[in-house]
Amino acid sequence: METTDLNLFVRTSEESIADWDRSKIIDALIRETLIDRDTANEVSKDAEQMIRRSGIKVITAPLIRELVNAKLIEKGLENTRKMHTRLGMPLYDVDSLILHPNKENANVPHGPEATNLTLSENIKKEYALLSVFSQDVADAHMNGDIHLHDLGFIDRPYCSGQSLEYIKKFGLDLPHSLSMAKPAKHPEVLLAHLVKFAAALQSHFAGAIGWDAINVFFAPYLEGMSDADVKQLSQMLIFEFSQQAVARGGQAIFTDINIYWEIPQHFVNVPAIGPGGKFTGKTYGEYEKEAQRFAWSLFEVFKEGDGAGRPFFFPKPIVHITEKFFRTEGHIDFLNLISDVAADKGNTYYVFDRGETAKISECCRLSFKLDERDLLDAKEPWRMRYCALQNVSLNLPRLAYMAKNDDTQLFNLITERFILAVKAHKEKRVFMEKLLSLGEDGPLALLTMNRDGMPYLRFNLASHLIGMVGLNEMVQIHTGEEMHESKRALKFGIKVMAHMNLLTDKMRRQENMKIVLEQTPAESTSYRFARLDMRYHSPLSGRIVKGDIASGEVYYTNSTHLNVKHAMNPIERVTNEGIFHPLIEAGSISHVWLGEAHPSREAVADFVIKTFRYTTNDQIAFSPEFTTCNKCHRTSRGLTDTCSYCGSPDVDGITRITGYFTKVSSWNKGKLGELKDRYRNTDYFSETKKKAVNE
Amino acid sequence: MSCMGHDIPIRGFLETSFIDWKGCLSSVLFTGGCNFRCPFCHNPDLVLHPDTMEEIPLEHIILNLRKYKKWVDRVVITGGEPTIHMDLFHIIGRIRSEGIKVKLDTNGSSPFILKGLINDGLIDYVAMDVKGPVNRYKRWCGVNVNTKTIEESIRLILEGRVDYEFRMTVVPFLHREDDVYEVAEYIRDAKRFTIQEFRPHNTLDRSYENIKPFSPDKVAKIRETVEGIMTGGNKQTVSHQRPAVKKQSATTTTSATFIE
Repeated sequence: METTDLNLFVRTSEESIADWDRSKIIDALIRETLIDRDTANEVSKDAEQMIRRSGIKVITAPLIRELVNAKLIEKGLENTRKMHTRLGMPLYDVDSLILHPNKENANVPHGPEATNLTLSENIKKEYALLSVFSQDVADAHMNGDIHLHDLGFIDRPYCSGQSLEYIKKFGLDLPHSLSMAKPAKHPEVLLAHLVKFAAALQSHFAGAIGWDAINVFFAPYLEGMSDADVKQLSQMLIFEFSQQAVARGGQAIFTDINIYWEIPQHFVNVPAIGPGGKFTGKTYGEYEKEAQRFAWSLFEVFKEGDGAGRPFFFPKPIVHITEKFFRTEGHIDFLNLISDVAADKGNTYYVFDRGETAKISECCRLSFKLDERDLLDAKEPWRMRYCALQNVSLNLPRLAYMAKNDDTQLFNLITERFILAVKAHKEKRVFMEKLLSLGEDGPLALLTMNRDGMPYLRFNLASHLIGMVGLNEMVQIHTGEEMHESKRALKFGIKVMAHMNLLTDKMRRQENMKIVLEQTPAESTSYRFARLDMRYHSPLSGRIVKGDIASGEVYYTNSTHLNVKHAMNPIERVTNEGIFHPLIEAGSISHVWLGEAHPSREAVADFVIKTFRYTTNDQIAFSPEFTTCNKCHRTSRGLTDTCSYCGSPDVDGITRITGYFTKVSSWNKGKLGELKDRYRNTDYFSETKKKAVNE
Repeated sequence: MSCMGHDIPIRGFLETSFIDWKGCLSSVLFTGGCNFRCPFCHNPDLVLHPDTMEEIPLEHIILNLRKYKKWVDRVVITGGEPTIHMDLFHIIGRIRSEGIKVKLDTNGSSPFILKGLINDGLIDYVAMDVKGPVNRYKRWCGVNVNTKTIEESIRLILEGRVDYEFRMTVVPFLHREDDVYEVAEYIRDAKRFTIQEFRPHNTLDRSYENIKPFSPDKVAKIRETVEGIMTGGNKQTVSHQRPAVKKQSATTTTSATFIE
């Protein structure tokens, strides 16, 4: 805001009016726009006249700027006005923002830091739409054809995945930091480096920070430690991440930790780095027992929950189920343990890496098969750093309203929107390149630091995510049936996704950019799209959007998911939703909502094994619900109005919103509508309902 | 309506349950009608108005079980009260012929049927709800009942010819804490005695919806005391819960069993 402070503007006293200096308007116009001096002079005179005539006594800088803008419009200088735009927020909005919580992202708490985040996000959002993206991309976002995720973080990439190896090898030596630390010699120090590096990364990425095979890479530090000490370390790790509500905007660091029971094949023969950043002389394959010990104790901690018995919200543990998993000793016990956690606390994410191809998970849902180059990198795992630059989602139902049941038209529209999303990615890419080219003197110094012959952020490998919201509703509008209602409808959904998959392939080659499809978490997007379609495509949209229209709790079904309300056999859900997963490269998930029910771990483990064997589903999670009391600090199962221990009405509901657990009170209206609808596997089936599904 | 001339009493079918057969995935069949009127029952429609609920043909269920057999090879038969239907033998026999294991939930009022099922090797697991101390059974189950039948069923189950558990739903005001211990004392040789929490939703006697359940602390204490009384088996008294069901659509939603 340097420009506004450049004394151009009159403050709010009479003396300043007397000190009025019209030439400052001219200076600003010439500095900021492409206008010529004579026109600028004319505009400034007009504005001055207007101010004098109004007899106004007190005037603020922003008001003068807007008056000048009004004059620019009168003269038809639209382009100049755009360049002269002022970004900011109305007083009323700032007032309510400071007083009331932000509900767009349930991971943002309410507090001064959170307010700062929202304020800056709002300005950066406007900046992005005016200055980073072209008019058609910005307009498509504004009217809800597409959604550009995390616009408030326009000057950062989207998400990042890496391993501990980087800090193990190079220590914590960040650009412009106050002190540098050599590679850790002790596990506790390594942990401290991990948490600090994660926090540093979080302030350079909009979304998730993921850690690959964390238990494997910690293993060389754990030799000789007692089980009790390993447990203590696990506790420290989980509490450190779950209590870091001091990162950007008072948020927790959105952390994923990837855990393997076996040593992944591509790391077995890799020389292990140990204390002091030195090679230990052994390979990771020789640290299986230590890695397992750490994995085990991490889940013991997850099982206990926090001090009030609540599930930890972060870090999110992602367990990879592979063919090798089933060949590794003790896997049944481990599967029972993590399934106990899934049933009791819900933390566990099961990722299915079928076949013998190597696969890694990058960020929240971004995972991919390792190609030759990656396998080379795997030999020096500190090089394995992956990121996605941006995430753009398509409003699929919107296209079906527009296509009016014409197949050709519909697929044509999908292609058009897809190309628009790619355009948005190209524009973000250009912008990121500009920031990164400033190197260690630029705003993204951390991402340009070069310790191993290449910058931390490997730009040429960056992914560009394209997501989708409401495939189910698109199919419903176009065919008259939701995807669970008939095989025909399901097949049509698959056809749409196959088309998008093909587009991804084509555009990837054409643009030479790594474009990948992703199941958008769409925590607020499914609500936003539904709301905007209620405005633009009423009355038809009124029969399509899910949730409760009267209360405004409307939403579209996430990504390619099936209707969340329909009483559906969970087997059928993971099977049919899983059909889509191979078409979506960057990771997908199916949710089994448990509600109050508390299944036994063996039943969950059995279900997991069968999902691995009999479906093409990529990832599943089980979501219980909890009520935690703010008075007696205890937690019970199910969502209730009062504490079942002490009866206090001062309670918070807790369950999974999309990809993480959080308090229900912080949810947006769309998600609240979905929560009410979620089928929790309690209702049994009637004949009529079944007929529709089974044909 | 069945083409086989049987009066099929199946009124509900949950294809995959994580909780009705501890440690396993199972499918659940709900039979309509019950000879008890426990005021705290969570399936009033199944008990009082089974005729208003859609009848599900056995053949449909068999087809479904076949479809998912590699996932789920167990069926829990619950109610209502399954043992009031003579057809039960036929239903279970038909299910078993598919190579599927069967668990029966019963209130123990038909020891002859139970004995027949056990003798014929038709069931793999039986869970009997004991409503309270046997000497005041009318208070718990809302009807006059020949308590000899209850005692006989308990005795039969305790013989241990099939795997089993006893269960009791503990309802504040209806039960005193001591009632639970009296039951525990009575079946103290049993392998498993599961204490289930009462949930005040959709109860047969609507006034029970105003009863506040015991706090989790209290339930934990009761479970602990019960464990101390029990002498047999694995002393496992942890409950696995089936939550009360929300109304979703007209007739079919008043699901499922008691709170477990």
